[in-house]
Amino acid sequence: MNCVSTVAPKIYWLASYPKSGSTWVRAFIFNLLNDEQKKFRINDLDTGPIASCRKWVEDAIDFDISELCHNEIDLLRPGAYRWLSENMSQNGYHKVHDAYTTLPDSNRLFPLEATRGALYIIRNPLDVAVSLACFTGNSIDKTIEDMGNIEATTCGNPLKFHQQLRQLLSSWSQHVMSWVNASDISKLIVRYEDLKFKSMTSFTQIAHFLQLPTSEVAIKNALAQCQLKRLQEQEIHQPFKECSESAMRFFRKGVVGDWLEMLNSEQVQSIVDEHGSVMRKFGYLTSTGKPDDSKG
Amino acid sequence: MRQYNAFGLNIASEFELPSLISTSFKKADVCIRKGSVCKKGLKNPWRTRPFCQQAPSEIWLHVPEVARFYITRGNEVIVEPCMNSDQQSVRLFILGSCLGAVMHQRNRLVIHGNAIRIGDSCVIFAGKSGTGKSTLAAAFYQRGYEVLADDLSVIDQQLNVQPSYPQIKLWHDTVEKLGLDICELNKIRLQIDKYAYPMAERFCQKPLPVRAVYVLNNHRNDQILFQAIEGGDKLPPLKNHTYRRGYIDGLGIQAQHFKLCSQLANQIEMTRVTRPSHKFEIDRLVESIEADLRGKVLAA
Repeated sequence: MNCVSTVAPKIYWLASYPKSGSTWVRAFIFNLLNDEQKKFRINDLDTGPIASCRKWVEDAIDFDISELCHNEIDLLRPGAYRWLSENMSQNGYHKVHDAYTTLPDSNRLFPLEATRGALYIIRNPLDVAVSLACFTGNSIDKTIEDMGNIEATTCGNPLKFHQQLRQLLSSWSQHVMSWVNASDISKLIVRYEDLKFKSMTSFTQIAHFLQLPTSEVAIKNALAQCQLKRLQEQEIHQPFKECSESAMRFFRKGVVGDWLEMLNSEQVQSIVDEHGSVMRKFGYLTSTGKPDDSKG
Repeated sequence: MRQYNAFGLNIASEFELPSLISTSFKKADVCIRKGSVCKKGLKNPWRTRPFCQQAPSEIWLHVPEVARFYITRGNEVIVEPCMNSDQQSVRLFILGSCLGAVMHQRNRLVIHGNAIRIGDSCVIFAGKSGTGKSTLAAAFYQRGYEVLADDLSVIDQQLNVQPSYPQIKLWHDTVEKLGLDICELNKIRLQIDKYAYPMAERFCQKPLPVRAVYVLNNHRNDQILFQAIEGGDKLPPLKNHTYRRGYIDGLGIQAQHFKLCSQLANQIEMTRVTRPSHKFEIDRLVESIEADLRGKVLAA
């Protein structure tokens, strides 16, 4: 049923290609929304389910979707998000790794009636390749190949059950541009590198966009709670619930410019050849077309 | 009309349902027939979702591209297949969602889980989707145990599990991990890689009282943990693992549901089993549960 919603949309999508910093941003949001006096525990992190959470979507659909194929489930997702948004008592902040797409029936996967806005986090694909390879356990070469595949998906293996629904990532460039070109929704695009080096300005901008507290004290406290070092220390003692089974740990280095140590020149060139135009657009290439190798 | 028996009920159906056990009877408890089902849903729904609505004695369900279903009074299922839908898909939703809804309307307690026979009683493996309920039941079946139900364990007023039908649905990767030959199994639906593992050899057709419920969980550690759930703590897992729990509110049958859950909680032992999520060690899991069951039998 395509119901016309009469209530304001409540969902802010926290969109990014995997390993681009969305967990850090979610930890920041969680801490802004919660008592800053209490020490933040990584496994308490909860800003609402990821858009592809099977249970979240199935609770709205209200019948067993495990016997539908991925394409059939996709067609039900917009209706589920509409219903979820209509029934939220307050704004929700939901992570998304899907590209922003239109389905074969011409509906948007993320319907306007549910979408209050989208925060898109972009990170240098050279660093994404390193971080993603560590997370998935795939080689860097395979990761680079996947980042160039416009049909790339996650949780898309049809032979098994997944707790998350299939997500079409597309290539890194297409993923970025799918959200950047989504002209009909309210958006804020932030670079991971700016979150690192211009933290106060960037996170304040995020807080404004997401209609969260924006006082300097609140932003500083929230950022202090989710310093990478703190998160890493906790993960040593207690595995992080969102860590993949292939990765030793979730909170790895989080540094800018790790690719300088980890990628060989062919790998760098391959990424630049594939994604150069989008990299240039977002300041990841110098005026001479070389990767920006400054670490700040 | 074709005649079948499942969940302790005589089912007359205009649709061929080959997974069910055929029988003959004079009076049907449930009738499944083709008919027209309102596109918009129920007149006065108590609970509304985009594809499903409930009111006392009524459930309306729309599975796009498959069919619309109207399930009423626990004795009638009206099915309006969508244009170009295939019979196999329609059947699958009749057997799962529709019969599950019928059981709620008949005030049965429907636990999302599998049931296997242990002596003169049965044990239910309950858990969220993807926690390995069907895999575990299939592994017990391979070791000679009888199976009563896959996915939906329907418990009647006498607190017996009523046998469902003789098959377990398994994903492709599970079929391979269990060492079964995929070429010998049929897909439950052409669109997905899930297979019907027939239980014909050891399907228990006798209703059996529930002896224990194991609630399956997983974690990222290597141990298999067994934690007894005692007293009033047994109620939340029974409620949480009730099949389509929201239907209870929509049908307005909370009181009956609470009563059955409480009665069952008084009768059973309940154990939370937490297994490693990162490795498939079905033999170790089955052996651990067998050892735990021996302890329960000795303690009885």
